[in-house]
Amino acid sequence: MAGTDKLLLVAYGIAVVLAILLAFALASSTRRPRRTDTEKLAEFEKRWLGIVVAILVALLAATIWFTPYGKSTPANAQIVHVDAQQFFWQLQPASVRAGTPVAFVTRSKDVNHDFAIYKGHRFVAQIQVVPDKSSTLIQTFDEPGKYTVLCLEYCGLNHQGMVASFQVTK
Amino acid sequence: MTSRRLVGRYLVASTLILLVSGLLGILIRESQAGIARLDSNTWYAFMTAHGLGAFLGWAGFAVMGLAYWVLEEVGFELRPLGRFLAEATWWLMVVGVAGVVVSTLFMHFAGSWVFLYPLPFHGAGQWGKWATAIFSASVLLAGLSIVTWCLAVLDTVVGPALHAVKSGIGNRLGVALGLGYLWPKRFATNPRSVPYAVIPLTVIGIDMIIATLPLALLLVEMIVQAFSPGVHVDPLLAKNVLWWFGHPVVYLLLFPAVAVYYTLVPKLAGRPLVAGNVIAVAWAIAVVANVVVWAHHVYLDHPDGSAQGTINVLMQPTTFALVIPSALSLYSLGMTIYRSDWRWGVVETTLFLGLFSWLTAGLSGVINATIAFDKVVHNTLWIVGHFHQMAIVNIGFVVFAGIYYLLPNVYGKPIWSESLAKWHIWLTFVGVTVNSAFWLWQGLEGAPRRFAELPSGYEASTRGALPFVAMIGIAQILFVVNMWQTLMGAEPRPARAKGDGVLVAVEGLIMMIAVLLALGAGVVGFFIGRDTAPSKSAPAATTAAPTPAPNVQGKQVFMTAGCAGCHTLKDAGAGGTVGPNLDQRKPSYALVVDRVTHGRRAMPSFKGQLSTAQIQAVAKYVSSVAGH
Repeated sequence: MAGTDKLLLVAYGIAVVLAILLAFALASSTRRPRRTDTEKLAEFEKRWLGIVVAILVALLAATIWFTPYGKSTPANAQIVHVDAQQFFWQLQPASVRAGTPVAFVTRSKDVNHDFAIYKGHRFVAQIQVVPDKSSTLIQTFDEPGKYTVLCLEYCGLNHQGMVASFQVTK
Repeated sequence: MTSRRLVGRYLVASTLILLVSGLLGILIRESQAGIARLDSNTWYAFMTAHGLGAFLGWAGFAVMGLAYWVLEEVGFELRPLGRFLAEATWWLMVVGVAGVVVSTLFMHFAGSWVFLYPLPFHGAGQWGKWATAIFSASVLLAGLSIVTWCLAVLDTVVGPALHAVKSGIGNRLGVALGLGYLWPKRFATNPRSVPYAVIPLTVIGIDMIIATLPLALLLVEMIVQAFSPGVHVDPLLAKNVLWWFGHPVVYLLLFPAVAVYYTLVPKLAGRPLVAGNVIAVAWAIAVVANVVVWAHHVYLDHPDGSAQGTINVLMQPTTFALVIPSALSLYSLGMTIYRSDWRWGVVETTLFLGLFSWLTAGLSGVINATIAFDKVVHNTLWIVGHFHQMAIVNIGFVVFAGIYYLLPNVYGKPIWSESLAKWHIWLTFVGVTVNSAFWLWQGLEGAPRRFAELPSGYEASTRGALPFVAMIGIAQILFVVNMWQTLMGAEPRPARAKGDGVLVAVEGLIMMIAVLLALGAGVVGFFIGRDTAPSKSAPAATTAAPTPAPNVQGKQVFMTAGCAGCHTLKDAGAGGTVGPNLDQRKPSYALVVDRVTHGRRAMPSFKGQLSTAQIQAVAKYVSSVAGH
């Protein structure tokens, strides 16, 4: 785990702890039932809507810039042609240099696949491979070594065996 | 209630589907953990049946039935047309689910429950055109069942109980959508405004018709294509059509469940739903946003030069908009419970745990909805954790709460054992929540979803989750026993005195800790067992130098690993005809190593089953004797 996945683990963990505290508070409020001004609570719902919208807008504004779309292949990029087929990958070439961007131009000869790169068990990047079209994933590797390719879109009976690897050299 | 029998049939049929599809789910999870491995065709066929069965045949079907009860409860009786459509819905769904069972469990269709086009036509020799055609036709029937249900609901909500002042159909639909809360003059009602529970049902009734019709066309195309291979659809378009249906169908589960919450929670809290007119804003957003969020399922699809990336970017704000109905409903329902005389019987407890799970599963959903985060969790087990929690301990708990409420109050059959019912709920809650937490964590660790066999490194966490999977299964046995006794009219066991909220919460906590301790012991045992077991062989390296191995070992591998089932090789006395004839092809050593290691087309990979040495031995053997 590194980067985004760690952030998600921490953020979601905090959210769940808050949810548990909220649930306990709500449960304990029923211990001594009291006449409650439900009109006022209903009135407050408008403000709650405002709060929710504000949080969502903030999250949207903070994250919408980090999409993988519309990236053009840099001039100095190393091109790797990736052909996907039930149930194997072909990478040409299967060795790239660290530090300069790599453009993986992926194509499928049959069904939908998902070209996913791992370093050991650490997830690195992925792109869906759609039949009849080419899809390009641009990635720069800082760390040399062996990288593994898995298919992340279910593609048939030997989906889990659709494994390949490539080398990143200094 | 006049629809007692009708609703009862929905609940019985959906519960039977739950038991079958739940069992399939347990089998594929234990196989993943390596306890009793299923072959990959069986695994993926089970996954296909489990997904469609549990999602649509259980949760969806059950809330569709409960919706009729909700409508009657708030004064909206089914009229003759609605009743006919509701009957048709039941039959279409039952026949559809039966067809899915036949095509997957008996005809080996394993194209997954999302049957991503064109995969159903690439069965790698394991399933044929008839399986694909029957599967597609069955899903089509289930789809039509959704459409007839929508029509039944819409026919009912525009009925006389609406008290709409103007009689035009557009106006009546607007009133049923709750627009009268926002524009009281334009959508006037007299004497009373539309009950809140009607609104989400109207929303989904409209949306599911819009969502299902394009998929129905695709399914018809697939039936035709099964027999006329020349027919073809653009795969990216097909993917969009699938998710155009695939997201709203999630809300076919959630929105009727919300209608049940809106009905039961105020009843049990002894006060009206705490909601202002603003809740109508949420549903006005929902009816539109629901049909324009589909592409958040294809955030990682962006072929060069296509508009898909642009569409995907637009889907993040629309998906966020759909958080609003959930956020406002959770607020209203929570505030209705707040300081109320909430008695913490089995129905109250189930609904409360359901609301909690709705919140936590909703929050993991916000993560999937964010493109920057989805890049990391897409198609990993994180997604599986998110939706199992949402589907079982939120939607499913509404179904269980409905059953536990309706049996005594509508069918006059008091629950045989209230405490057994509570055990059922708590064990299911803990089992599903912890198992989902394992999935979320495995997903963040990069574990892919839909793998019959996970890559190495996830064994411990997969096995660690297994006791909780077993717990879910055991809980359903308690449920079945309790239901059987209840329906047979057994004398109810004495219930405990009313407990207060904190007491119940503490009881729950103690129970959870006890269960965790018991299971912790099992997990520790597993780790010890795993560490003392002989270490697994390293993955086969195709470039490794051949090590000399006697032909006798290679021959033995050939005879025992299943090679002879598919291939012809005279030296081994093998006459299989599924795969290439090895005597004619005379494959080289390197080719055999590669094929056996990675598999190709119908040929499975043997990497997990054979060691590197065994693969090299069989390759040496085949390359030396083929053609002699």
